[in-house]
Amino acid sequence: MEIHQVTHQLILTSRLDDLGHLPVKVLKSVSGGTSAALDPIGCKVGEWVFTIANSAARTASGDDRYLTDLTISGIIDNWPQDVDKD
Amino acid sequence: MSTNRIATMDHKPLLIVREKVGGTPMVAVDAVGCKPGDWVLCVGSSAARDATGTKAYPSDLTIVGIIDKWEG
Repeated sequence: MEIHQVTHQLILTSRLDDLGHLPVKVLKSVSGGTSAALDPIGCKVGEWVFTIANSAARTASGDDRYLTDLTISGIIDNWPQDVDKD
Repeated sequence: MSTNRIATMDHKPLLIVREKVGGTPMVAVDAVGCKPGDWVLCVGSSAARDATGTKAYPSDLTIVGIIDKWEG
């Protein structure tokens, strides 16, 4: 599961029904890449979260019908850890 | 590690793992019970789900073993 920081929310007025109504967040990952994930938790911009990818992402979103391959699954308590200061 | 998480993850321990010292940190479900500093083997994609012990558990990275000897 990758670690990301939430940068902003994506507004998709016209989307497939099977995408559901969960908000979509744009994330910047620790390794620098940008991705978009379904957010069943409702996290705020700037928060550090971890995501689940592949087939587990659909279960993580709460409904296997949702067409997602990346879902935010938890807000990390204290991140970046002090040990991470480089 | 993450008190505010989706309900379906219930109370499985989550640990930070890195491929190599200073590598990108990732979150893995600990199905073995390892301690900080251990070199472990992780499994990904759909196998990670059943490796947690709960069928179709929402995980894409699960620790499945502790390596006896490994120079990082």
